[in-house]
Amino acid sequence: MVAVHSEYFAGVRLRSIAGIWFRHALVLKHTWLPSITWYFVEPFVALMAIGLGIGALVDDVDGLQYAQFVTPGIIAGSAMFHAIFECSWGAFFRIQKGMYETTMTAPVSTRELAMGDISWAMSRAVITGFCIGTVAAILGWIDTISGVGVLLAAALIGMQFGALGLIFAALSPNVHILSLTFTVVATPLYFFSGAFFPISVLPDWIEPIAWAAPLTPSVHLARGFVTGDLVMSHLFSALYVLALTAVLFPIAAALLHRRLVK
Amino acid sequence: MATDDANRYGKASTKVTSVSGRGEESVIHASSIAKRFGDVLAVDGVSFEVRRGETYGLLGPNGAGKTTTMRMVSGLSPLTAGELTVAGIDVSRNGREVRNVLGVVTQQDGLDTDLNSRDNLITYGFIAGLSRAQAEQRADAVLMYFDLTDKAKEEIDNLSGGMKRRLAIARAFMTKPQVIVLDEPTTGLDPQGRNGVWQELETMKQAGVTILMSTHYMDEAAALCDRLAIMHHGKILTEGTPDQLVVRHAGSEVAQVRVSNGARQDVMDWIGRAGFDYREAGAIITVSAHNGARPDLSGLEGVRVTYRQSNLEDVFLSMAGRKLTDE
Ligand SMILES: Nc1ncnc2c1ncn2[C@@H]1O[C@H](COP(=O)(O)OP(=O)(O)O)[C@@H](O)[C@H]1O
Ligand SMILES: [Mg+2]
Repeated sequence: MVAVHSEYFAGVRLRSIAGIWFRHALVLKHTWLPSITWYFVEPFVALMAIGLGIGALVDDVDGLQYAQFVTPGIIAGSAMFHAIFECSWGAFFRIQKGMYETTMTAPVSTRELAMGDISWAMSRAVITGFCIGTVAAILGWIDTISGVGVLLAAALIGMQFGALGLIFAALSPNVHILSLTFTVVATPLYFFSGAFFPISVLPDWIEPIAWAAPLTPSVHLARGFVTGDLVMSHLFSALYVLALTAVLFPIAAALLHRRLVK
Repeated sequence: MATDDANRYGKASTKVTSVSGRGEESVIHASSIAKRFGDVLAVDGVSFEVRRGETYGLLGPNGAGKTTTMRMVSGLSPLTAGELTVAGIDVSRNGREVRNVLGVVTQQDGLDTDLNSRDNLITYGFIAGLSRAQAEQRADAVLMYFDLTDKAKEEIDNLSGGMKRRLAIARAFMTKPQVIVLDEPTTGLDPQGRNGVWQELETMKQAGVTILMSTHYMDEAAALCDRLAIMHHGKILTEGTPDQLVVRHAGSEVAQVRVSNGARQDVMDWIGRAGFDYREAGAIITVSAHNGARPDLSGLEGVRVTYRQSNLEDVFLSMAGRKLTDE
């Protein structure tokens, strides 16, 4: 396994990845004002409405105040949307506008292109997690140590959904198909990830499906950091996300290659 | 990198691998290269050589295989067959390495619309391997060099087509490449935009950069290329300097005969009997002599005959039996 991986990643040019990351960071630097709504305002509104609104109606869940329960869920959801948006919508237009082709006129391979975009997807996931986490911390819904753990989970989410997003970008012939990424994939995953309620309240037959859905383990992991009692299931969750990424990434890179190198 | 900075663009660099010496080194060497897409043989066994410091053109209509050829040269498209080296690097074995020596301008500008002009150059330079500081310095120098300084902070969507094209070419210049591959530099530009690009290319030529370019404009090929190959259906029909090609395949002058529909057949019969080549396009019959001399049509009566210098369009017409562009 290790040998296979070292071969797969041999010859990866780090500057390609750093350069693509730098490009994305520069765009954010120039567009930070409108971007705040994305990274912060929208998830903040969700956190407030659900944490305070539903929180007022609901008793403690799994030993947590409802707002505390939902905070890691909302961070995980926002992380997912950022990553998948960057790598599906963003990447799709970079393909369409010939921007990837331009990047490849520098000595950049398709695999590095994928890694660069995913590295940024991870960053976006962490940035949005940090913004929401800070507010939640001020409100006393999360403490700093747990927050760091949740950001770690956000990074994993960014990696996994970045790879998934690229698959959609590379496969979609047009924006109509591309939009299915959200309607059919991201949104249902979000609602059945355990972000808003424990998976255990679902009917028995849905439960295993919900557990297998890619966002659920990450929500479980993030919440593990908040409750503070990490058990084997959290480790398994992390491994599940890593394994899924290990499957998704080569597919994403190969599809991108097929789309760009003819 | 920094060591190369000092004197690349006063004089041509000496880094290119010498193949034959005597200032005739071939920088790009393509030998029977071919590319197949499913049933389409886009490039069908093409051979050519681009020497250091020269501007070499691929002239041909849409679909001739120019872009495919240039993408293969840039290591962006794997070869189906043939051998291809750029600056001594085997492209089929190391396509990415080639792009360390090449500057590539694709047919689509491919500018980053989320960034302004200067940042487009900086990010490209950084991705291509310059340090951040080098990239910033170089971006300012390149903007100045190509007279784009006042557009440095401009958003891409606010630039004219000609400006975008010039910026795309400037971008390829960021890494001080020895060789630039340029696909259709002026397609779709207005005359003013075209002029700007031509000037930019002239500046690069003066700096000793080797240029491989494609075009479907015969005047562009004639104006910019030292040598060129005429491409059609994935093949090179002929190759030489623009003057050589014209003299060899179209003669020095051609006659243009304007005919009415009624007289057309009689006139063509007459020209055929006189032993000249002719091609019709609309109401105009273009006539050339095999020996390259001015075709003598003084015996032809009742029609208007004008003479003009032959050009690359005539060469293409005579070899491919159709016009270069559709308009
Ligand atoms: N990716 C591709 N898939 C299938 N056919 C292609 C592809 N790219 C080019 N072709 C075909 O190859 C031929 C040459 O195309 P191209 O190299 O773009 O010509 P040019 O640049 O001279 O207009 C055309 O018939 C074109 O349709
Ligand atoms: Mg083309």
